[in-house]
Amino acid sequence: MTTVFRRSLFASTAVGLLAGPALAQELTVWAWDPNFNGAAMEAAAAAYQEAGHPDFVLDYQEFAREEIEQKLQTQLAAGTMDGLPDIVLIEDYSAQKFLLSFPGAFQPLTDVIDYSGFADYKVALATVDGETYSMPFDSGVTGLFYRSDLIEQAGFTAEDMQDLTWDRFIEIGEAVTEATGTPMISLDIDDPGLFVVMLQSTGSWFFNEDGSLNIEGNEDFRAALADYQQILQSDMWKPVNSWAEYQASLAGDVASTVTGVWITGTIKAAEMPGQWAVAPIPRVEEAANGTNYSNLGGSSWYVLNSSDDKELVYDFLNTVWGSDVDFYQDILVGQGAVGSLLAAREGDAYQTSDDYFGGQPVWQDFSSWLGQVPAVDYGIFTYEVRSAIASNLPALADGGDLDEAIGNIAAEAAVLTQ
Amino acid sequence: MAQTRLGRNENAAGWAFVMPALALIGLFMIYPILWSLWMSFQTGRGMNTTFGGFGNIQRLFADPIFLTALGNTLIFLAIQVPIMIMLALVFAVMLNNPRLKGRGLFRTAIFLPAVTSLVAYSILFKSIFSNEGLATQVVAFFGGPQIAWLAEPFWAKVVIILAITWRWTGYNMIFYLAALQNIDRSIYEAARIDGVPARAQFFRITIPMLKPVILFTTIISTIGTLQLFDEVQNITQGGPSNATLTLSQYIYNLTFRFMPSFGYAATVSYVIVVLVAVLSTVQFWVARDRR
Repeated sequence: MTTVFRRSLFASTAVGLLAGPALAQELTVWAWDPNFNGAAMEAAAAAYQEAGHPDFVLDYQEFAREEIEQKLQTQLAAGTMDGLPDIVLIEDYSAQKFLLSFPGAFQPLTDVIDYSGFADYKVALATVDGETYSMPFDSGVTGLFYRSDLIEQAGFTAEDMQDLTWDRFIEIGEAVTEATGTPMISLDIDDPGLFVVMLQSTGSWFFNEDGSLNIEGNEDFRAALADYQQILQSDMWKPVNSWAEYQASLAGDVASTVTGVWITGTIKAAEMPGQWAVAPIPRVEEAANGTNYSNLGGSSWYVLNSSDDKELVYDFLNTVWGSDVDFYQDILVGQGAVGSLLAAREGDAYQTSDDYFGGQPVWQDFSSWLGQVPAVDYGIFTYEVRSAIASNLPALADGGDLDEAIGNIAAEAAVLTQ
Repeated sequence: MAQTRLGRNENAAGWAFVMPALALIGLFMIYPILWSLWMSFQTGRGMNTTFGGFGNIQRLFADPIFLTALGNTLIFLAIQVPIMIMLALVFAVMLNNPRLKGRGLFRTAIFLPAVTSLVAYSILFKSIFSNEGLATQVVAFFGGPQIAWLAEPFWAKVVIILAITWRWTGYNMIFYLAALQNIDRSIYEAARIDGVPARAQFFRITIPMLKPVILFTTIISTIGTLQLFDEVQNITQGGPSNATLTLSQYIYNLTFRFMPSFGYAATVSYVIVVLVAVLSTVQFWVARDRR
């Protein structure tokens, strides 16, 4: 990759020297997933070229999500814009943090994009003081992806996987693990993503409306953490140490996973057609408003104020991301990207069934679940609280007291969110 | 008088020669140090900061994560540095034996880790100690339990200590080897003639003769361990349960991973400065010449 990058850098420098300002048709974009958002952005560039802009060049640069955030944070803090891209992908959990910490770094798009055509919650996530900054991209609507063949082998049917509670899911999981020898799920003890999914499915979050912590005394938080502790203490999970190991585990090492729809690209990359199916996620039974729907991740494109060709950025975003319904069908089927453009939901691809998932109309399912995801305000400190939660999970796995853990989480979160 | 004028001229010339270096040191060392001291009194989020007096210092003492990081760093220091110094000393004495065959090969082998990149070897250790890694399989092969090295707080600390010991023992050994070659052979000869056993030679001659170098390596290793970052960042990310979080990594998290608190991060970095100063003073005091 480095060689390719260096070669293209060399080529673009050489062309730049020769052609000078004529190269204004190039945009640089940072994103993090070659199977998903990176591929979707490249598809968007191809669509833009076909739409009468043959000279358009996309310089797609890939970094891990954390690296993108850290690079942005370092450069914006230092006040140097050299080397920053025109467009950057930011995860929804971090959007408010960047918009509030670095006023003026991002370009408001309120007058450029017609936000009435996008899902409201995505627009709200990128709005600060009445200005909206993002081109809304994907939703992280969650599903329970499971191996239909293994579930069947353990004596369960697709119907058994519908409308589950976490208690029932653990029962099934332990039975599947015992019958097939394949663990039900893989978990990274340092990554509380699954717990975050469970919490949002109850309609609750880490913070109150005024931004203060809502951890101690939050019944939903306690109920979700109690279920999560049960999972940690069960025998149905395989430990992984990194995101890469987690992704690799989906290619045959586990019988299911609960995560965002964006994992579809990874699951399809395993090339096991007909062996996978999708159901709504299990529900936190003890929570007052527990649902079978939640969200994990999801991200949007942001334009940096330092971009030197904003007209091109606006035209590119509006032409493809803002209105091209066909493009959204392509990235849905190809990358599993459930976009936020409402008009795209009427397209053909959303109606079709998918043979990879045994002929299930997965996209219709996901878009109907999307409408039922409880909306929460992520605030600006999601990763701080996640880190406080992660640091108390090993104790819970060892059978530690739930209320003591909640107290510790709240104490650590209070320091980190000062 | 002519001589004084010459002296003054020499002085002026001397200052002219050191001026460029001084200016650069001032700009890139002294100015940032003073600036970070000023920053450590700022509070606020991101670029919106205000003067906060001693607010950051109060925050330190009420911060359970800071105290965990401090505790971890001191544990690494207290366990790893003595083990490494002893190992390096033993290796150096063994490899200094002129009758040993293949000395060059062993010396190279033990020093080689010191030239590998910190990140590269950390990634290697991470894969060796992963759930299907070599170390896990070797332990299982000899009938040991299935150890989740990186998921258990205790074992994660062990992995970090193993990693830094592997990386830095050879580096310290080189200092001892050099120092050993400067010890006059006739001292050992005299000891042998007087019938001093080998072990007593080691404790009564070698160690006292090496004392300045031992002090030097101990201080260097102490400072290095207090600044430990690359290994934990790449092997465990500070986890599980912050069991391997170090002060440097906490500074990094406060600055780059979380909502940036530059002021508080600067305060934590001054904790390291104070620790280095205090520990170095203590080590000098312990190793002082008693007459």
